Amino acid sequence: MSPIARSLRPFASRLLAQKLPLSSVCRAAPASFPRGSVRSFSQSPFSQLKKYTESHEWIELAADGKTAKIGITEYAAKSLGDVVFVELPEVDLEVSAGDPVGAVESVKSASDVLSPVSGTVKQGNAVLDDNAKFINQSPEGDAWIAEIEVNDVAELDGLLDETAYKATIDEE
Amino acid sequence: MTPLHPFLRAPRWLSQPRILRPPNTKAVRWNSSFSVDQFAQLASRQSSKHQIYQSLSSDPYVNLSIEHFLLEHVPADSNILFLYINRPCVVIGRNQNPWLETNLRVLHNDRGAADNDPEDALYVRRRSGGGAVFHDEGNLNYSVISPRATFTRDKHAEMVVRALHRVGATNTSVNDRHDIVMSIDGASAAEQSPQPRKVSGSAFKLTRHRALHHGTCLLDSPNINNFGSFLRSPARDYIKAKGVESVRSPVANVSSVFADASIRFGIQDVIASIMGEFAGLYRASPDAVHRAQRAYVHDPELYAGDDWVIGAVGEAQGYEEPEIKKGIDELRSLEWKYTQTPQFIFSTYPVEEDPRERPVLPPSLPPSTRVFLRLKHGAILESHISMSPDSSVASEQAVRAHEALKGRKLHEIQPTQWKEVLYEQLGPGEDAGTVEELARFIATKLGWV
Repeated sequence: MSPIARSLRPFASRLLAQKLPLSSVCRAAPASFPRGSVRSFSQSPFSQLKKYTESHEWIELAADGKTAKIGITEYAAKSLGDVVFVELPEVDLEVSAGDPVGAVESVKSASDVLSPVSGTVKQGNAVLDDNAKFINQSPEGDAWIAEIEVNDVAELDGLLDETAYKATIDEE
Repeated sequence: MTPLHPFLRAPRWLSQPRILRPPNTKAVRWNSSFSVDQFAQLASRQSSKHQIYQSLSSDPYVNLSIEHFLLEHVPADSNILFLYINRPCVVIGRNQNPWLETNLRVLHNDRGAADNDPEDALYVRRRSGGGAVFHDEGNLNYSVISPRATFTRDKHAEMVVRALHRVGATNTSVNDRHDIVMSIDGASAAEQSPQPRKVSGSAFKLTRHRALHHGTCLLDSPNINNFGSFLRSPARDYIKAKGVESVRSPVANVSSVFADASIRFGIQDVIASIMGEFAGLYRASPDAVHRAQRAYVHDPELYAGDDWVIGAVGEAQGYEEPEIKKGIDELRSLEWKYTQTPQFIFSTYPVEEDPRERPVLPPSLPPSTRVFLRLKHGAILESHISMSPDSSVASEQAVRAHEALKGRKLHEIQPTQWKEVLYEQLGPGEDAGTVEELARFIATKLGWV
């Protein structure tokens, strides 16, 4: 990425985030969400609950505003190829943003899955213990890798939204 | 294969160093030599775009940790080549099971018993994926660290194939498993198209911005016909493991091509050739390549230009740089070696998860003997060990034995401890000699001599 693109991106992605269709906002904030608590997990009314990292992880905040699931993106799953093993994190493991929260092996390649934010692991997705390939089928759905309790929800604000993430993929 | 290849006993690049002369005066200005204690600093210098190192160490823990240090600390846009040769060892992939993938009985016992021969091959778990391989002094390891965005799994295997072609091994190519194989001419007329032999296997580690590709290259291993004895587990009929299983391939030495030819084939030629191909692929400065190819590797010394670093590194760097030392300690730890193992079961009888027919138990054990263990993180989660043909007695035995075994780390249970546990929990109904036989059976299958 050129330095110019780098400096422009946050601005551009903010603009784009505001233009997102209503449907994706609805998906991110389900109707059953408890009233009054919305502002407690984010300063920005436009922030989405699902965010991405440049290293191809996603994180999605649950309706409780405290726990979040972490997984790898469709793009990552596709580029890694057939996943043969998923290393799940230990319960109660404390992670900082950028620390491994699991690892994936595919075609002789080990790749760490990095936690996008800091927090404490509540559980690994046991489904992947028996069926690692599930990652290839539903990487951004039921094949999440870890569930963590987020230390500070504001950390999510610093991550990429969907549009900004897609832009990083296009560069590659 | 002739046994007279120059590096059969000691690699030629270790025994016949060539003294370096700076190619010209201008180069002297740039080709400054540095003491090796500046390794970490030079490697992580932002301008060090091309780096080429050979290791002076044959310690696999040191070499894998220097490599890991480079993966984590060199500049994000740099390209690194690191070459090393390990003492005899079995190296398994990150998500493999040592009880299934290796013959722990013939490897150096790091679990604390008396049967410890320092000459024995080591058991090592690496950080990258893939399967189990055997290394020795006839096996050259190449490692390339490059930006993840431009990385492909075949790129560096192709680079090594070009290097092998350059030294005359023109029958090598990359297969669909990213391995380098060598086609073999039908030695006898009866053999029409023999299966290509594997000479190099690859494994990868990907980080946020970087990709590590390391591969073996069997140049002239004296153990080539003996790999099975290191890689065949005594428990293979009993263990069903999650994680990654090795794919067994017939192997050959690259040197076997030259067995009947008069071409001289030495490890330094291959090393120089790989360096040349690496430099071509990544457009490294010719100064750097010349310097690297002629480096006097007995002297741990580094040379650096404005955008490159080359030289020889070894144990001193490994132990002096805290980050590398940390990596060595981690790889040596029994936690990493054993408890990193994915879940598995060991069972002497068919179970739903592993319905294979089992071998007949030794005649010293009653046919009603049952041993079942379920392990997670190398610790016993579930077990059933019994001898009695009476099912209610058997289940009592199993419950008592499990009380004594649950939560214990498999690698920590020594043969004498198996004996103690089984004496105490299966007795008094069972014959002491038979119980001892059972303890010996279990310990043997789990890698104790």
